[in-house]
Amino acid sequence: MSAATEAPLLELDGLVTEFRTGGAWHAALRGVSFALARNETLALVGESGCGKSVTALSIMGLLPPANSRIAAGRIRFAGRDLVGLSEEAMRKLRGNEISMIFQEPMTSLNPVLTVGFQVAESLRYHRGMEGQAARRAALELLDQVKIPAAAQRFDDYPHQFSGGMRQRVMIAMALACRPKLLLADEPTTALDVTIQAQVLALLAELKSAYGMAMIFITHNLGVVASIADRVAVMYAGAIVETAAVDELFARPTHPYTEALLRTIPRVDEDSAGLAAIPGQVPPLSAMPPGCRFAPRCALREAECEATDPALAPLPAAADHRVRCRVRAPATAAPRHA
Amino acid sequence: MPEPMLEVAGLRKFFEVKRGFPRATTVTVRALDGISFTVGAGQSFGLVGESGCGKSTAGRAVLRLIEPDEGRVAFKGEDVLAAGKERLRALRRKMQIVFQDPYASLNPRRMIGKALTEPMRVHGVGAPGERVARAELLLAEVGLPKNAMTRYPHEFSGGQRQRIGIARALTLEPELIVADEPVSALDVSIQSQILLLLQGLQERRRLSFIFISHDLGVVRYFCQSMAVMYLGRIVETGPIPAIFKEPLHPYTKMLRDASPVPDPTRKVAMLRIEGEVPSAVNPPAGCHFHTRCPHAMEICRKAYPEWTPLGDGRGVACHLHKV
Repeated sequence: MSAATEAPLLELDGLVTEFRTGGAWHAALRGVSFALARNETLALVGESGCGKSVTALSIMGLLPPANSRIAAGRIRFAGRDLVGLSEEAMRKLRGNEISMIFQEPMTSLNPVLTVGFQVAESLRYHRGMEGQAARRAALELLDQVKIPAAAQRFDDYPHQFSGGMRQRVMIAMALACRPKLLLADEPTTALDVTIQAQVLALLAELKSAYGMAMIFITHNLGVVASIADRVAVMYAGAIVETAAVDELFARPTHPYTEALLRTIPRVDEDSAGLAAIPGQVPPLSAMPPGCRFAPRCALREAECEATDPALAPLPAAADHRVRCRVRAPATAAPRHA
Repeated sequence: MPEPMLEVAGLRKFFEVKRGFPRATTVTVRALDGISFTVGAGQSFGLVGESGCGKSTAGRAVLRLIEPDEGRVAFKGEDVLAAGKERLRALRRKMQIVFQDPYASLNPRRMIGKALTEPMRVHGVGAPGERVARAELLLAEVGLPKNAMTRYPHEFSGGQRQRIGIARALTLEPELIVADEPVSALDVSIQSQILLLLQGLQERRRLSFIFISHDLGVVRYFCQSMAVMYLGRIVETGPIPAIFKEPLHPYTKMLRDASPVPDPTRKVAMLRIEGEVPSAVNPPAGCHFHTRCPHAMEICRKAYPEWTPLGDGRGVACHLHKV
């Protein structure tokens, strides 16, 4: 990969994010590390509560300050560390260099302001554009995200748009200032499949047109296969497997990844038989010691329940790393802490 | 096909809705515009389509949770729509429903034991002690411990709540279950647990299912035959293997090709799909799908295609497939 030679745009190093529940701090992320290059899409995939959204909110600096904190680690973005950055400095970054889109566009759009006004807002705030100039730029954005008859719909309100069109408006808002990084948190989960396919195509197209890096959060492995360059599978607050998308689907190695793939009833072939993963994700306050997946794992050995394995490269493919002492015994010291 | 458990013919339901501000106008939503299908005994029949296509209305209209305007529903030969109060009550014991969001369908202030014994009490099944014993057996059957009886809905996870929803649907020993997106709100690992549970119950109890879902993968796995709905009408129906091998209606093909599969060498056909889903308030003239159809012809804009039965249980409404 040519991108590997230049410095990554975003680098997470041992990120630990904690939440306070019942008077004690519990780690929702426990040492998440990854690097993301320009024009690269990393998919964060996992089930509810695995830490995908917390990762994105940590990067955006949008964690609720009252009951959460970044306890350790660094978030290096374009040369500077975002951890500990002032709220004012973060506000200059958000919507400007880093943008985020969410699952439910209606809850992130203001219902009493017109769509056009909201798209122009970040141009006014970050670029100091005014009046007709802001309106023209916003209209161009709505055209770019392929809203039909954008000029007529500029002064419509969000409730007059369908779900797919609202998500396009969100994308236009997020991309207004040509961010270097887009965080997309389940952006197509609430959409019908044909509309999902349209929005995925739009995101892929705009990403390469802008040379943007994208973190795409989803629980849908089918969507991952369609949009990602690289994949990180998360479980209980940690990355348990990461690889290039082709490699991951060709050789799923962590027992959790493997099991997840077997739980999906496929559209394109008859399922030989569905396999369920027994049990459920443990709650933050009652994480098992050792490997967090051990209680649900078919390959569990006694040692798994005692020591938490590190993310270790596979002998055959250094770029494919797996957190499992059965499948990927750490022969040498792991490259990342 | 085995003897039919349920036969639906020409089922129609229009809703009058007030829309607009400040001056509201009344519009008609053609939620169900004359649909017909048959569910075989012990079979699972999938109803598939995108939001607003009428699939949930269809499920509810069959049970008369929504009164249909017109049509015929026969459960083992008995006319459901003509049934009076008493007969309907008896029929409802045989036809039950499982909802998508079990949290919304369970009373938060009522213990699970009460939620499970209530239907038996209402229908006069068993003495109080027997009801409790049966509720405990049902809990075991859906994989929950006995002590769930004295707990409240909020104490359970989403997957466990869906198990409770299923147990409640089973309290009166139904023969047909309408499952309305029963796994859509669940994480994938839990989704497969619930699908396996439903499959086991179906085999043990010889249940018939109307399985409503937007997820073609889930329907392909769980059902033997299916119908694809678009804006209140069925556009294609047939046995699962045949439809997935060779979808006839362009909409069925579009749905199949847009459904993501976990294989990077088969990315979803993203760019070829254009257009938005029109509304059931004002469906396009002619074939409702022509505004999005890659094969739309002149006639498609004018006339709704007639239903064309093709043998082997297949049928399609499309001008491309006329005999």
